[in-house]
Amino acid sequence: MKIINKEVPVTIVSGFLGSGKTTLLNRILNGKHGLKIAVMVNDFGEINIDSQLIVSAEQNVMSLANGCICCTVESDLIEQLDVLLNLREGRPDYILIETSGVSDPGRVVHTLRYPRFREKLRIDSVICMLDAEQFSSLPAEVEQLAMRQLEVADIVVINKADLSSEEKINDIKANWLFPSARVYETSFAEIPFDLLIGVDEFSEKDGYQSVNHGKLFSSFKWETNKPLSLKKLRVCLSNLPSNVYRVKGIVSLDAVPDQYCTVHMVGTRISIEKLSGLKPSGDASRLIIIGFGFAEIDDIKEDLSECVVCI
Amino acid sequence: MSNAENYRSSHTGKSAGKADLVFLNGKIYTVNNSQPWVEAVAIKDGSFIAVGDNSLVQGHIDDHTHVVDLDGSFTMPGIYDMHTHPDLALAPGYAGYLDVGLDSPTPEDIKKSILNYAELNPGDGWIYGQYFVHFEFKRAGVEAGREWLDSIISNRPVAILDRSWGSMMANSKALELSGITEQTPDPGNGYISRDSITGEPTGILVDGGYAMIHAAMPPTPMHALKRAYREGIQYQSGRGVVGTKYMHVCEHRLNALKAIDDVGEMSLRVEAAISWQDDIFPVKRRWELIAGERHFYRSARLNANAVKFHFDGTHETQSSYFATPYEGRSDWRGSLNLTPEHIADMVADLDRKGIRVVAHCTGDAASDIFLDAVAEARRRNGDQGIRHQCAHSSVLLDENLPRFKALNVTAEFSPVAWYPYPFSRARAQANGEERSQRLFNFKGVLDAGGVAVMGTDWPVSNINPWVGFEAMVTRQNPWQEDEGQFYGQPIALEQAIKVMTINGAWCMGIDHKAGSIEVGKSADLIVLDRNLFEIPAKGNIHSTQVDLTLIEGQFVWDRHGRFNDTELAATWREELPEFCDKM
Repeated sequence: MKIINKEVPVTIVSGFLGSGKTTLLNRILNGKHGLKIAVMVNDFGEINIDSQLIVSAEQNVMSLANGCICCTVESDLIEQLDVLLNLREGRPDYILIETSGVSDPGRVVHTLRYPRFREKLRIDSVICMLDAEQFSSLPAEVEQLAMRQLEVADIVVINKADLSSEEKINDIKANWLFPSARVYETSFAEIPFDLLIGVDEFSEKDGYQSVNHGKLFSSFKWETNKPLSLKKLRVCLSNLPSNVYRVKGIVSLDAVPDQYCTVHMVGTRISIEKLSGLKPSGDASRLIIIGFGFAEIDDIKEDLSECVVCI
Repeated sequence: MSNAENYRSSHTGKSAGKADLVFLNGKIYTVNNSQPWVEAVAIKDGSFIAVGDNSLVQGHIDDHTHVVDLDGSFTMPGIYDMHTHPDLALAPGYAGYLDVGLDSPTPEDIKKSILNYAELNPGDGWIYGQYFVHFEFKRAGVEAGREWLDSIISNRPVAILDRSWGSMMANSKALELSGITEQTPDPGNGYISRDSITGEPTGILVDGGYAMIHAAMPPTPMHALKRAYREGIQYQSGRGVVGTKYMHVCEHRLNALKAIDDVGEMSLRVEAAISWQDDIFPVKRRWELIAGERHFYRSARLNANAVKFHFDGTHETQSSYFATPYEGRSDWRGSLNLTPEHIADMVADLDRKGIRVVAHCTGDAASDIFLDAVAEARRRNGDQGIRHQCAHSSVLLDENLPRFKALNVTAEFSPVAWYPYPFSRARAQANGEERSQRLFNFKGVLDAGGVAVMGTDWPVSNINPWVGFEAMVTRQNPWQEDEGQFYGQPIALEQAIKVMTINGAWCMGIDHKAGSIEVGKSADLIVLDRNLFEIPAKGNIHSTQVDLTLIEGQFVWDRHGRFNDTELAATWREELPEFCDKM
């Protein structure tokens, strides 16, 4: 029961100037990841692409040898997305939208949810990057914008942590972040690819592990063949420990007896949606839980088991 | 109203005696080619009866004539602002809606504020206002939406906008009154946030999604509309405006304007244009108004013989309809809000009814279609003398410049971006070099014999018409914030004065009886604190102060209170509302 997403997943990266967005985007554009990623930026000027990688560049779209596309967002995001979805060489596997330091990523999130994109695009994650040092002394006039960036963020990346102090980072957390916020501290905008981009192959891997800067990034699987309570599952997912960054899978729910539902949780955002088509007999559910340094795998599994509907 | 009491029809004859009012010793610029400069005018029954030098006017003075010594002051006809919106700029702020009044209110602050408002405004009416901040809800671990609002108040509708105006939070009662259920389809330009499994609305409505709430709410209250228009009128009189057009009205707005007219406070001529679309506010009595109900509002100062359309959008959102693609785009050239067939039929139909069509056309292809539609109307109806109006005309095709004259269509320009500052620079860049060269082509229309006018389009730009007036002549920043020269050709001062006066009167269909200082015309004039011909335009015209405004022989503005406590006391005097941070 592999999840087939016909929608193109989208990750939105916000953050002020100097927060490390560009470093991150440059790494993706120049990287060997085997994915055709379309990166939408405000201005080519900030992007630094090895000229030998550029296959073609016309108007506001640049095609790269690794299959990536980089384009600038003209004033109209809707039109630019339509262009990407109707490319003659086929849709991208993934879209990454950088919002400029002065724009409101909430607007982008809203636009992606307009009916016209509902069957075509799916918000995978909204990442807010912040410079640990800069953020502890934000000028008053950008505070509202900082709030807009944080309020829509699924995952908050505190960058340049090496240049800051633990005290300052704790201050940021206390003054700016939400009780359950998923925070990833890093330097040089080093973010695990699997955290940033939810590719489906990953959800098939059980017991996957990779080490990032001394932190163990891992996943585990939980399965049952009984239906789950929608209400309990929502509560359980929202109470997961904050080292869980992603959960995805397919579940049978008491509230939806005839169809499977997909679970897609990134950071603090949980979406549970009906999967089209009737489900075959049986009530199998399977979730992949992805995060860092799990010590409480058994506890999480136990909490999930509590969601099983007692018949 | 005053005119209804002592109106002089063609055979009533003049009132007894000589002139009611005489102005002497002025430097009066008449905007009449055969007699451009005079010293004096005599006025009787609201019209000029003599225009010339002091000695000519002396003969019109008797014991009952009020004589005003202009002492060399520069005087000219009153000016015309042919597109503005005091209601949209001011009325929401005067409506008495809920205002939490904090920069970043917490859910608890909002709750208190709602309960407090409910206590002060008892009953079952709407509690509508601003604002909440999603960030603060997340910080507090509270889910913003219907359930949270219901827990505060569930028996009357509540709707609160978020700080960025991107979404609205509504309670169950508000959703019910707006007919928003799990069955309601999302609008094209927004959505109703829903539970992903049940489809039930969560009470968060995004972008176009909250128009449904607005449509269900009572209209902007009459007291707010009246106050907004009254202050707008007062301000305009104080800046020397004697004729204006309020674009977008509905029956409520017309009622507010009539109430002001009825008490004699309509101190300038207003043409109000009924909205064709419901995109700003619903117009429930549109068809009745168009069919003839509009005549109920008619007076010497007020008419609603116009209909306002949005043919296309704006340059900023790339929704202006252009003849060629946007810069850097291979195929996108914007879109029309209405089909060309719809446009052609309705222009012809309204033309036949004697109603002026005012068409918002920021793109050169939108105005092209408008001119085609007027040509078709002329073909079907013949020239009925209705001067239709192309609003904004931000970019025009060169081929269309002569058509304004040929079809008797006014080209109206709004000064939001015809001088250099960051907004206009960004807009020009987005337009590309070729199109930018054609931005705000006053000169092109005038050189081809057409009529160009200005509309301030407040609150899109400054309501003070003198700012755009100066930039028309300089295409430079009036405040020296940007030393460059903006795209497009400046026009000469004499031409600009015509644009601001007689052309406005033409655009209102009253140029035969107003718009210049000539015998037989309405006695409208303004006395300024400076002579426009004796100062450098740059940095000076925009800060012009109007000392006196006279319309139909009546003082409506008196800056220094010169005629206080006399028979000539002005409608408005000494103080103006402060709307603009820059002068």
